[in-house]
Amino acid sequence: MSALVQETKAEAGAPMLQADGVSIQFGGLKALTDFNLTVRQGDLLGLIGPNGAGKSTAFNVLTGVYQPTQGEVRVAGQRVNGWLPHQINHLGLARTFQNIRLFRALTALDNVKVACRAQGALHPEGVGLGTKVKGAFVNYRDWWRALLLTPRFQHEERELTQQAEHLLEVMGLSHRRDEEARNLPYGEQRRLEIARALGTQPKVLLLDEPAAGMNTREKADLMVLIRKLRDDFKLGVLVIEHDMKLVMGICEFITVLDHGETIARGAPAQVRSDRKVIEAYLGDSYLESHGGAA
Amino acid sequence: METPAIPVPEARSAIPASLRGILPVLVALPVLALFQWLMSDAPFASYLLSVVGVNIILAVSLNIVNGMTGQFSIGHAGFMAVGAYIAGVMSLNLKDVALSFLPVAASDQVFFVASLLVGGLAAALCGFLVGLPSLRLRGDYLAIVTLGFGEIIRVVVQNTDAFGRALGLSGIPQTSTPAMVYFWVFLTVLVARRITGSSHGRSLWAIREDEVAAEAMGVDTTGYKVRAFVISSFFAGIAGGLFAHFVPIINPGSFTFVKSMEIVVMVVLGGLGSTTGAIVAATFLTLLPEGLRSLFSVLGAEGSLAQRVDQIRMPVYGLLLVVLMLARPQGLFGTKELWDVLPRWIPRKRKGLA
Repeated sequence: MSALVQETKAEAGAPMLQADGVSIQFGGLKALTDFNLTVRQGDLLGLIGPNGAGKSTAFNVLTGVYQPTQGEVRVAGQRVNGWLPHQINHLGLARTFQNIRLFRALTALDNVKVACRAQGALHPEGVGLGTKVKGAFVNYRDWWRALLLTPRFQHEERELTQQAEHLLEVMGLSHRRDEEARNLPYGEQRRLEIARALGTQPKVLLLDEPAAGMNTREKADLMVLIRKLRDDFKLGVLVIEHDMKLVMGICEFITVLDHGETIARGAPAQVRSDRKVIEAYLGDSYLESHGGAA
Repeated sequence: METPAIPVPEARSAIPASLRGILPVLVALPVLALFQWLMSDAPFASYLLSVVGVNIILAVSLNIVNGMTGQFSIGHAGFMAVGAYIAGVMSLNLKDVALSFLPVAASDQVFFVASLLVGGLAAALCGFLVGLPSLRLRGDYLAIVTLGFGEIIRVVVQNTDAFGRALGLSGIPQTSTPAMVYFWVFLTVLVARRITGSSHGRSLWAIREDEVAAEAMGVDTTGYKVRAFVISSFFAGIAGGLFAHFVPIINPGSFTFVKSMEIVVMVVLGGLGSTTGAIVAATFLTLLPEGLRSLFSVLGAEGSLAQRVDQIRMPVYGLLLVVLMLARPQGLFGTKELWDVLPRWIPRKRKGLA
C-alpha cells in the first residue's frame, strides 16, 4: 500500500486528497460508510446526495473536524488521521462552509489576511508533543518581530496586504476591501469565503454548497468562476451541491451519497441515469410510475 | 498559487521602518522623566496615579484575553496575586543587598525591576499551566477554571508562612515610583496595540469571531489562545509586583474574586476589544470612589458617607453593568479605539484593525 502511494506521489497527477474506506460512526449511527474519494490537481468533483446523506460529514472528516472511525485520509500523501483542522489546512486543504462562517466584525481585507498569515508562518507538521513545543518556539520568535515592529515584520505585513488585495480582486471584491464582512450582501459573502479559503494557498478546495441562496444568474457566474479558479490557482476542487444543474454543469466526476453510503460514482450523464440515484432523490414511487430509469 | 508579480510597495510613512519599532519608547522616556519630576512632591497623587496605572495594566492585559480573543477569564486577580507575592518576597529577601558599583537608589531600582520580572514570569507560568488544559475546550470552561485558580491562589497564600498568611506581607521596600508604573502601563498598551495590528492580533480576532472557521483557515486556535493568555497573565503579574511595591502591606484580601470582577467590569465597560476603552474605564472606575469620597467630605458628610464609599462600590459596579448592558451592550467604545469614536476634526485612521 505505502509503496503504491510513494509511486503515485512521484507522478504529475498525484492525488492531493485521498479518502480510503473512511467510515464514521456517532454512537449507533453510521454517518458515513466506506467512503472513497481521490482529488488530483485539476479535478472538479461533485459530491451530491439528499438531505442528511452525509455530505457535510464527509467534508468534516476530510478537514479534520471529525475523526474517522475507520479508514484513512491522506492529504498530499500524508496520513492525517488525528491531525487538527489547522494542521490539515497547512498541508493544502481549504474549505468554505455551508452556513457562511466569516469573521463578521473584521473587514473583508482582514478576513483574507487571517488566512494568508496562517500559511506564511512556519508550521511543523505532526501531532507529537515535540513538534508542538517546537511550534510554540517558532511562533514566539514571530511574536517578538511583531512586538518590536521590525522592518522585516513591516515588510511581511505589506506583503500579506498585497496578497489579500490580489485575492479580493480575483473574486471581484476590491470595492469591499474595508467593509465589515457582516455588511456584505449574501452573494459577496459567499465569494469572500472563497477568497479567504484561497488565502491559505490550498492545493484542494472544498466548497460546501457554494450556490446556496443564489439566483440563476449568480449561479451561472459561479460556475464560470469555479472553473477559472481551478485553472488559475491549479487546484483540485470538490463541490457539495444541491443544485443538480450546477453540479452536472461543472463537475467531471460525481459521487452520490445516501444514508452515508456511496450509491453511485461516475460521470454526470452516467450518474443521472443511475437507478439508485433516481430512487434516492425522487423515491421508488417515481420509478414505479415511470417504469425504470429515465 | 501564483504570487502577484507586483513588487511589495515600500511604506509611505515619513518615519523610516527601522525607527518605527523603537519610536514610541523614545517618546515615552522623556515624558516619563518629566512625569516623575512633577510627581516627586505629591505623595497622595503619586499613590492614586499608581493605583490607576496598575488598574490600567490589569484591564488592558485582561482585554487581550476577554476582548480580543473572546475568551472569558474571571481570575485575573489570581495572576496579580502571584506577581505581587513572588516579587514581594523576592524584594523582601533582597532588601539589604546592594550592587556596590551603583548608587543605592539605582541599585534598588535594579532589584525592583528584577523582582517585577520574576513575578511576571511566575504569573505567566501559572497562566500557561492554567490555560493549556482549559483553553483546548470551547465555551465557559476557562471561566470556571480561572475562577477556581483565583480562589486557590488566595487560599494557598492564606496558609503559607512565607507569604505571611492572612496577615499579609509588610515591609516590602517601597521602591515603586509613578514613572515606573507608567513605564509598564506604556509597555502593556504598546504590546496590546502591536498585537492588534499584527497577524497574531488578526488570528485572535478571528478566534473571537468564529473559532471553527479560524481553525479551518489554518489558525492554531489552542496555541493562540494559550499565548494570549500567557501574555495577559504576565502583565497581570507585573501589575501585582508594582502594586506590592507602593502599598504598605499586601494581604490576600487585596486579591479576591471581587478584585477580579472589578477588572472584568473595567474591560466590559470600556468595550470588549478596545484597548483605549479599557484605559478610560480603568481610570474612571479607579477615580470614581476617590471622587465620591472627596465629594462627600466637601459636603461635610465626613464620618458617615465618605467611609461608606468602599462599601457601596460593588453595588454601584453591579448597577453600572446592568445599565450598561441595557443601554450599550458593546461597552463605551465597542471594539473601536478612542480615535475612532472621537469627532471628525481629528484625522481618522483608515478602517481596519491595523
